[in-house]
Amino acid sequence: MKIKIDAFEKELNSLLEKAVSDAKTLKGFSEDELNHRVSSTSWSALECIQHLNLYGDFYLPEIERIIDLKRYPASDTGYFHTGWLGNYFGNLMKATNDKITKMKSPKDKNPIHSDLNITTIDRFIKQLEKMQLLFSQSKKSNLEKTRIPTSLSPMIKLKLGDTFRFLIYHIERHLLQAMKALSA
Amino acid sequence: MGRLLQATTKNPGQRIISKGEFLTREGETERNLYYIESGAVRAFLLTEHEEQIIRFGYKGSFINSLSSFLNGSPSPFYIEAIRKTEVRVLTKELLEKMVYENEESMKGYIALLETLAVQQIEREIDILTVSPSERLKRVLERSPTLFQEVPLKYIASYLRMTPETLSRIRNS
Repeated sequence: MKIKIDAFEKELNSLLEKAVSDAKTLKGFSEDELNHRVSSTSWSALECIQHLNLYGDFYLPEIERIIDLKRYPASDTGYFHTGWLGNYFGNLMKATNDKITKMKSPKDKNPIHSDLNITTIDRFIKQLEKMQLLFSQSKKSNLEKTRIPTSLSPMIKLKLGDTFRFLIYHIERHLLQAMKALSA
Repeated sequence: MGRLLQATTKNPGQRIISKGEFLTREGETERNLYYIESGAVRAFLLTEHEEQIIRFGYKGSFINSLSSFLNGSPSPFYIEAIRKTEVRVLTKELLEKMVYENEESMKGYIALLETLAVQQIEREIDILTVSPSERLKRVLERSPTLFQEVPLKYIASYLRMTPETLSRIRNS
């Protein structure tokens, strides 16, 4: 899939801003409400946020490390092409309105029963700000040639552009889940 | 410092906070100085990836977000109770009034600030000390009862090492 970088940047920043705004909304709820679970296996709002934090813990330092290497300068076409795997993950994560298909999370990214509170959300907001910064730095690198290992395996790498796509839709998806956990 | 303590007992401000409750959050302006009567708190810096503990407060110590308290800037730190804690609260207004009241109070306040300045320098040396066992030794010399007051995982964070490393060097 061919993606216009400027358009993607607009979408990413808009989704990140919405994420920050949603996170601030979440801060207005009580700790009890944020820890409330609809069923014993579904996640509370805080668990959704912590799950996102765990992904950020892996991806943000990796992205930063690799773009600092400055191996591949940005292309001048203004477009990047998604890879088949990157495109698959991106589309998998994209929440289609209200319908969220249930998916199993990798064991080390399962936040259930961890100790969570208001700092979980504050940490998430910091990660969003960091992601915004990293994307603007990433524009100097080639979004196709630069590859980022996935948390699944260091041998499975995605294009830098695809990594951001996957991450931002993943965030959107779990934030939707967090809001639902509150309203239930 | 005795006068400060006196002021806190006269001041009706007293709070009891439960484990996990905050005295101060990042971004807030610190308006109080707390004296811990019982329990324990931790002051930490939150980054995108972790909580870095910079200081503990337990029975008999004063604590607050000092930079924010002194210059009105937003607090970079959280101060959270690690178990049920009773504090006496001294507001900035009351402290200022008291400190400038007479020479005795001023001396007491200066002595407190001097103690704090030295503690900060010691802490800076802690951070620059490469050997984990050396860092532990330094901290235990200052606070021999630390392991009775604070859970291991927090001490490890303060010492800038993993809980596993801390257990290992304690047992060796």
